[in-house]
Amino acid sequence: MRVVAKSFLRYMARRRSLSLLQLMGVACGVAAAVGMFFSSQTALSRFSGAVTFLKGRTTHTIERPAGPLGEDLLTLVMRDPAVQAFSPVIDRKIILTGGEIIRIMGLDPLLDRNLRDEFHDVSLFEQAAGSAGISFFTSERGVLIDSRLASRLGLNPGDAMETNRGTLEVVGTFSTLTGEPLLLMDMGHIQELFGLRGKVDRVDLVLTDEEGFRSRFQKGFIIQSGTQRRSALNEMLRAFRLNLEALSLLALFVGVYLVYNTAMYAVASRRRDAGILRALGAGRSEVAFAFLAEIMLLGSVGGLLGGIVGYFLSYLFSSLIGKTITNLYVSFSVPLPSWSWWILLFGVVLGCGASLLGGMFPLLELVRVNPVRAMHGFPVRPGKTGNVIKLGSAGFVILLVSLLLFSLASLHVYVGFAGAFFLLVGASFLTGLLVVVLAPPARWMFHRLGGIAGRVAVGNIRQNLGRTAVAIAAFMVALSMLVGLGAMIGSFRTSLVYWMKSQLRGDLYVAPIAEISVPEDFYREIKTVEGIAGIDTYRNVQITYRDTTVHLAMVDASVLQRFSRFLWLKGGNENWEPVKRGGVIVSESFYNRFGLGSGDTIVLEGVAGPVPLTIAAEFYDYTTEHGLIMMDRSTYLRLYGDRTIDSLGIFLAAGANRPVVIDAIRRRAQAFGLPLFFQEELHARILDIFDTTFAVTRSMRLLAIIVAFFGIAGAILTLFMERQREFGIYRALGFSTFQVAGITVMEGLFMGLVSFFLCTLVGTALAWALIKVINFHSFHWTIFYYPVLKPYLVAGVTALLASLGATLYPIVRICRTYPQMHLREE
Amino acid sequence: MKALDRTVTLLVPLLLALALIAMDGFGPCEAKAGEEWLQAVGPRNWSFPADHGAHPAYRTEWWYFTGNLFDATGAHYGYQLTFFRFGVRGAIENSGNPWQMRDIYMAHFAVTSIGEENFSVAERISRAGPGLAGARTDRMEVWIFNWTAVMRGPEILLEARDGDLELNLTLEPKKPLVFHGENGLSKKGVDRGQASYYTSFTNLETRGFLRTGENSPAREVRGTSWFDHEFGSNQLAPDQEGWDWFSLHLSDGRDLMLYFLRTTGGVIEPASSGTLVEADGRAHHLPLEVLSLEVLDRWKSPASGGDYPGRWKIRISRCEIELVVAPRLANQELITKGSTGITYWEGAVGGEGVSRGKKVTAEGYVELTGYAGSLGGVF
Repeated sequence: MRVVAKSFLRYMARRRSLSLLQLMGVACGVAAAVGMFFSSQTALSRFSGAVTFLKGRTTHTIERPAGPLGEDLLTLVMRDPAVQAFSPVIDRKIILTGGEIIRIMGLDPLLDRNLRDEFHDVSLFEQAAGSAGISFFTSERGVLIDSRLASRLGLNPGDAMETNRGTLEVVGTFSTLTGEPLLLMDMGHIQELFGLRGKVDRVDLVLTDEEGFRSRFQKGFIIQSGTQRRSALNEMLRAFRLNLEALSLLALFVGVYLVYNTAMYAVASRRRDAGILRALGAGRSEVAFAFLAEIMLLGSVGGLLGGIVGYFLSYLFSSLIGKTITNLYVSFSVPLPSWSWWILLFGVVLGCGASLLGGMFPLLELVRVNPVRAMHGFPVRPGKTGNVIKLGSAGFVILLVSLLLFSLASLHVYVGFAGAFFLLVGASFLTGLLVVVLAPPARWMFHRLGGIAGRVAVGNIRQNLGRTAVAIAAFMVALSMLVGLGAMIGSFRTSLVYWMKSQLRGDLYVAPIAEISVPEDFYREIKTVEGIAGIDTYRNVQITYRDTTVHLAMVDASVLQRFSRFLWLKGGNENWEPVKRGGVIVSESFYNRFGLGSGDTIVLEGVAGPVPLTIAAEFYDYTTEHGLIMMDRSTYLRLYGDRTIDSLGIFLAAGANRPVVIDAIRRRAQAFGLPLFFQEELHARILDIFDTTFAVTRSMRLLAIIVAFFGIAGAILTLFMERQREFGIYRALGFSTFQVAGITVMEGLFMGLVSFFLCTLVGTALAWALIKVINFHSFHWTIFYYPVLKPYLVAGVTALLASLGATLYPIVRICRTYPQMHLREE
Repeated sequence: MKALDRTVTLLVPLLLALALIAMDGFGPCEAKAGEEWLQAVGPRNWSFPADHGAHPAYRTEWWYFTGNLFDATGAHYGYQLTFFRFGVRGAIENSGNPWQMRDIYMAHFAVTSIGEENFSVAERISRAGPGLAGARTDRMEVWIFNWTAVMRGPEILLEARDGDLELNLTLEPKKPLVFHGENGLSKKGVDRGQASYYTSFTNLETRGFLRTGENSPAREVRGTSWFDHEFGSNQLAPDQEGWDWFSLHLSDGRDLMLYFLRTTGGVIEPASSGTLVEADGRAHHLPLEVLSLEVLDRWKSPASGGDYPGRWKIRISRCEIELVVAPRLANQELITKGSTGITYWEGAVGGEGVSRGKKVTAEGYVELTGYAGSLGGVF
């Protein structure tokens, strides 16, 4: 047995190039899966870790439905028998010079230590009351800065820190377990900094009797338990988590496919050797064992390598995921995944598992092989038409199942994902049939293109369907992902642009993106500027509706009625009329989530108790998947009394002298330290956020290309290796080196062509599924399908380059060996 | 042990800060402190009820309530409810914002269930903030969250609750207010300003309710309390390690207050003194030379490692008093890591002896500080 195993292993060394390619194939597949999986796990667990850390012992929080809370509430809270500890919190954002937006929390450390003792233990108290004195309490501009941010910005205690709210003084550093850059400021000072004297954002509580407390603080407050907050957070991250999980699964799928593909070729390429060994008297089990050893070696080494590469890949993904969370939810930086030996183990298990899966069928055949037949190197599956039809029919059935799953996707979005998976698998089964169908026209075409070499190439692919169909399928899956994701992102982007152009039509915007409020004085002042036709006051807050988080936007209905062109599900700008009179409009995602639309009534918890509001209309919106309720400023003030303005949209009058008016606005904005954006700048920033959000998805496309390349390269190289004997025949028949190289090139081209042809169909179907099924069910909004050419072009070019690139090595070999080749065996 | 180290590292910083502030008053910084804070020097023109309230011009101030209580079954309890005010800054620039820190308020609340040999402690710390803590200047009303001491007419109402520990008492003075030292100026050392203004209600008839733990009902209790009110700016010199303070009710109606300030090396500060309040309310100042204190036993705290005196013989020949006093429960140590950061022993004590030739019993409270770390310069 050892002799047999040795002979197998020696083979690997002898065929270094093929072994290396196979190894790379396994490693790439494992790396993709490991990288995606670990970075998303790290990001998500750190995110909830950060939330738990910041929560401390807090069992409940109390806040206003919208806007800050009067701090006079504290004197009631402190006397309440249900309250064991309490800590008021101001939780805001600040912009550093350079544009970075940082979370800044205002606390009273004396109160807060009862809730977050880890937070205050050594760090805060040492800093607040340590050797530097008590400047945290006494210095009006004093902040504590988390040590990671401090070292990144090169700040030390005593240094000044420039922000959009003036210069802050670093009085010390502290370490947090959160991945989020954080500043801490004393409650009194932060109130002055943000103009919030007498107000706090919320009060964190440790309650012993929730029911009793709720009964005493019923009206005008939102009291959330830790569980509710966590589920609200989970709800908020649900779609994002799902996306990451889906991408991980996709990476895993593609990775396993590649490893499978590689292992299959590894086995197939050894048929002849197996035949010789059997003829020499080696038993079935010996051959099987030797073969298993080879696969396992390939799987483990590739898995190890893939684990390491994947770990480094996860660095890249982590920063991308961090950026996405920051853009969509809260400022958050994902820490680099820490090294663990489990990563290697995971890689090896994945590598070996997928290799076994890939090698299983070829292995079974190899064991059963007729030594003589195998020695002649006859292909495993000559690609009989019967087999092809059987597989093709199975493919159709699987496609039907996928359609069924798509139609059931409303049950759970995972069902939709399963549908996409079945779509890819079903299409893979059809590749053989497609090659058979396409072979006659292709033979004609390639004959025109490359003469006899073209015909031979197509024939070779058709004849070796057992090998080539799988390679084409793998390539097709990768290309389809490229097309599907690309077309989905493209359509989404186009929908977004269309939406921006209809909804965000202001000429100028003040502080539109960061969570920085616009002082009301500024609003009043700017209203006096001549040449302005209207100003939209915008405010967006998260509120709780039916125990989940939804967004609420305050707008100026009459201004928007005049200047915007909202995309309504029904009707036109007359929908604003009822909004001006106290009604609300809801986004499509709200409508789909709660099944509430025009004519229905929603009840919102205002400061003075519940208020029923009538929905006037629904509009398309992509700002939040959680649902958006929009109301006029007058209604908002009536409900919440919160005068905060997040941003202003300024519409210039038609005949105004634009440069003069803009200059007048700019001067006033500068005096208030407020950033001013032109419409185009705002649109560009939104698209920027969009693009960052899809950076992870885009990098998955790159992985798909790499996988595709290795898949096709493996197939062509194996074909080449197996047909060494045929080259002798070609030589005897008088084929020139150029012609033989041409055969190889055209084999690659044909495979690429078939893959591309199939991927245009499957990719489009995938895009459709992503847009209409998966996106709709996870985000509750409609993306309009826009035919985008680019992904198809990219796929075409990729197919061409990858299939040509894959033939490079065989061609080099042919040029080197073909001229000396003889028909040895005949 | 590790936990203890950790605790110490955590607490000490805040105290350090306070110490830093407090230390300003000594040595070369005296002039500066003198500018910011008034000093307890010379006689005071007392004015009540305002002088029961806060004196923010002085740096430190406390309202100290201790007492021995009995429920209907005769079960014996001791309690302590203390409010401290530490001035951080004499003046604040932007006085419109209540979060601006001028004073830090702290409070300790302890109950000893003598029969159950149980001692429970709670503590609070807060700045004034928007009504979180404070002390009125026109009368006695001091509070931290839901712990309050309020004087209404002649009566003082105490309220404190922390989880299952709850106290609700009404205290009625049975003797007039006592002015310790020289008309209330109680010397703590020889330096200028090293003194406090110190008044007491030594005999307060007490009634109310007490709850001592989980599932325990609110028990009606009665007994006798003692109230001390003290304010000054830098009573304790850096070389003064701590003090032993006694407040005792004798069964013949006499009340006795003694304090012994210890300097490094165990020497008793000559300024230490006491006050004897006769049954009819007349008070006599007792200088150190007429006092004799002998430690008969010691108790070592397993929690802090502090080595405390555990039993005393007190002899005041001028007043014909000789008493042996012992703690009702050995472990009445307060480790106040969440507020002052000071570890001290304060507990109910009892004893017997002779007063004016007659056998008497005594009950009261003893406070022992500086045995688990020096307090020099803190107060």
